[in-house]
Amino acid sequence: MIKTELIEKVIEKALSNGADFAELFVENTYNSLISFNDNKTQQNIAGKDFGAGVRVFYGHTAIYAITNDLSERSLLEAANAVSKAGKGNTKTTLIDLRRHNFSDKHPIIIPNIEVSKKEKIDFIRRINNASRNYDPCISQVDINMIEKMQHVLIANSEGLLANDKRNYSRIYVSSIASSGKEKQTGTEGPGRMAGYEFFNTIDPEELGRKTAAVASLMLKSEYAPSGKLPVVIDNGFGGVIFHEACGHSLETTSVAKGASVFADKLGKQIANPIVTAIDDGTIPNEWGSENIDDEGTPTQKTVLIEKGILKSFMVDKLGGLKMGLKPTGSGRRQSYKFAPTSRMRNTYIAAGKHKLEDLISSVDYGLYAKKMGGGSVLPGTGNFNFAVSEGYIIRKGKVAEPVRGATLIGNGADALFKISMVADNLAMSQGMCGSISGSVPTNVGQPAIKIDELIVGGRK
Amino acid sequence: MYEKEFEFILNYARDIVDDIEILLFEESSFSTRIHSQEIEAFNYSDTKGIGIRILKNGKVGIAYTEKFDEDSFQLIVNEAIENSELIENDDEVIFENYPDVDTDLQFYSSQLDEIKVEDKIEFTKNMEKFCRAADDRIINVPYSMMGNGKYFVKIANSKGLSKEEMQNIAYAYVGCLAADKEDKRMAFEFQIGRDFSKFDSHKLAEKSAEKSIELLGGKDIKTGKYPIVLNNEMMATILSTFSGIFSAKSVQEGKSLLSGKLQQKIANKNISIVDDALHPEGSGSRSFDREGYPSQRTVLIDKGVLKTYLHNTVTARKDKTKSTGNAVRNYKSSLSIATTNFYLEPGNISRKELFNQHPQIVEIVSLQGMHSGANPISGDFSLSGEGYLWEKGERKYSLKQFTISGNFLELLNNVETIADDFLFNISSFGASSVLIKELAISSS
Repeated sequence: MIKTELIEKVIEKALSNGADFAELFVENTYNSLISFNDNKTQQNIAGKDFGAGVRVFYGHTAIYAITNDLSERSLLEAANAVSKAGKGNTKTTLIDLRRHNFSDKHPIIIPNIEVSKKEKIDFIRRINNASRNYDPCISQVDINMIEKMQHVLIANSEGLLANDKRNYSRIYVSSIASSGKEKQTGTEGPGRMAGYEFFNTIDPEELGRKTAAVASLMLKSEYAPSGKLPVVIDNGFGGVIFHEACGHSLETTSVAKGASVFADKLGKQIANPIVTAIDDGTIPNEWGSENIDDEGTPTQKTVLIEKGILKSFMVDKLGGLKMGLKPTGSGRRQSYKFAPTSRMRNTYIAAGKHKLEDLISSVDYGLYAKKMGGGSVLPGTGNFNFAVSEGYIIRKGKVAEPVRGATLIGNGADALFKISMVADNLAMSQGMCGSISGSVPTNVGQPAIKIDELIVGGRK
Repeated sequence: MYEKEFEFILNYARDIVDDIEILLFEESSFSTRIHSQEIEAFNYSDTKGIGIRILKNGKVGIAYTEKFDEDSFQLIVNEAIENSELIENDDEVIFENYPDVDTDLQFYSSQLDEIKVEDKIEFTKNMEKFCRAADDRIINVPYSMMGNGKYFVKIANSKGLSKEEMQNIAYAYVGCLAADKEDKRMAFEFQIGRDFSKFDSHKLAEKSAEKSIELLGGKDIKTGKYPIVLNNEMMATILSTFSGIFSAKSVQEGKSLLSGKLQQKIANKNISIVDDALHPEGSGSRSFDREGYPSQRTVLIDKGVLKTYLHNTVTARKDKTKSTGNAVRNYKSSLSIATTNFYLEPGNISRKELFNQHPQIVEIVSLQGMHSGANPISGDFSLSGEGYLWEKGERKYSLKQFTISGNFLELLNNVETIADDFLFNISSFGASSVLIKELAISSS
């Protein structure tokens, strides 16, 4: 994307005021979005994002400047700005960039740009039709096909020069059921870090029907109950509970400044011994995978919690520097517009030995959360919330009537101990996770788990 | 600025499209974050881009570039033509030359651009320092940040429209973590404006420290329905979450609760909601929207009655009405609708008075989970909340984290009283504290 000679110049310029470390991140991304709604293709947008970020460290201070003008003049200006923003004692030496070649663990079979827009729109139309034909109460279907091809170049004053490409394919479907008086929604958003071949693994009719089924079911459902209840959270997107209750609080982003309830808990019991949790950036073609992170560190499989004991944080370069830990390949950013920080990749609770039925039958009265929406946490307090989008009452060990969405709340330090059963049906789901380095693709995952009590925010 | 680039694109496109509109954004910003009196982050950004919309055979095509050279400009015109060929939407889109709005508002302060970086760092360090000094129970200040930004927008079309505007703004944000033996709480405070001399690090710090400390020691409350006071900030948060239902685009797509409700009573008669793109205090003010349409003040709900939706010229043409000047897009996106300064008209009694109106009231001072627990299509919400129990006009104690659930339209119908403590939040949604007949609280 840019000549090695210029990369060296930029890094040397960035170091020229005695910085300890300098890094150049260059990105060339092709984005494509097809939006379909009201039975019609509404938008068909494609474009290239092309830009660079220069970062230096002075001690524990990170300074970052971005530009989307990749001329020599503009890049050196950015390098000059970051170097001038601090003063250090590290002697500038001529750097010798060595190209690092990583084996590509995430091959692309069908590049998205080689598939015609017509084929894509036909695929979307099949989802739309299946949803609308499912039930007359379906009044609207929104479908977005998101395709993104990101090429990155990362070079730093340690001599690293690396390239990576990340190819994302995702289809997001939202069906709206309407009774005249009320509206309810059902959504699905499967995605993979893969080419168009991913869409060929999806049955469009089934996807359309699935969203329609939830929307129409929720329209006919009563409000969820409220109060403290045992909750069985099913697999896949249910993993959002671990993501919010614990994951964010294990990122050095919050840990390094002591703003996490788990900051001083390394080696200590923080969860029920039946809980093992992993953050893995290496799973082939998974939504949150990468060959290297956005600082050029190879991604890895990081065991966060083993049998309830906190084993590792998720560590980026700066966080590692502050805490004296080795980076775990967790430095991520949405784009060149953000400085990287430690983030989750594919985060999941490992499979246990129970069956989903065992979990359900152990509950006398409680909530079965079949499908979850998003959530959030304040890592400083550990208080988290996440939303149930498809729920059912459990009565005397059996799944009973469906109930509408409700928020579940709890505290991370507390909720992890209350996970009392883990099933064997591990699955992952795709999400976009927001933090100070922007919005990045992450997988959440888990088998079904039983939590002995959570506060359920219903209206009854 | 950028006359040459605009002229090149207009000339190149003239013979191959029916009409064209060009939108340019140039933005630069600075932000810094302090932790433990060290600079934790220090960011500069400088970006620009051009987006075009073309009309050809009655279809709209859009494309954008961040590279400014003749090859890229030709490429986007051709890409936009190609993209238009697949669009099935047949809404009538017309580019026009719109008049300018008559306003004395200033959107740019050259003084703000001249503030020294050292002063901004000093300010941000002070916010953290003053938070910690405010009370021993402040154990951390996870967020102490400030920033300023400047943007230049230029829009032109083949019908002769050509408008541009420069804006700048600064903001500061601080969040404290307070702890005692049993409880941990966070609270935030912000300031936004163009006059940096009015930014008060002391006041921001003291307020966020006070807010987090007052919440410590939360007690349980019984699950049930309670009269609720949403404080001004939280009422503004609720308004922002559900403001999308006023978009004519959502209505026309059958995604809004307000479909078919024009001229009907949808809220209590004490409710008036306004979107005012020319409000002197709102940070969302500007003189024209992203179609170049002049800014205006639009009354959406007048004494409980829904008067209009928010329109751009495309949705307005479809509804046989006039645009309200709420077109929005950036150079990468297609045309949509957004609020500017969107607010609930204040009442005329003091905030304190609200609490005398029921023997027992739950006050909400913090809400979490807006993006997951609130459904803008159904209007239902179930959110994580923090707040206080009030009895007979007196604040009794802080409550443990709870959930609060309801429906937005029901809430608008159940507003009993509106106070006079109006404020705009950081995203230019404005409200005063309101007393609501009842909402469901779930706790242990």
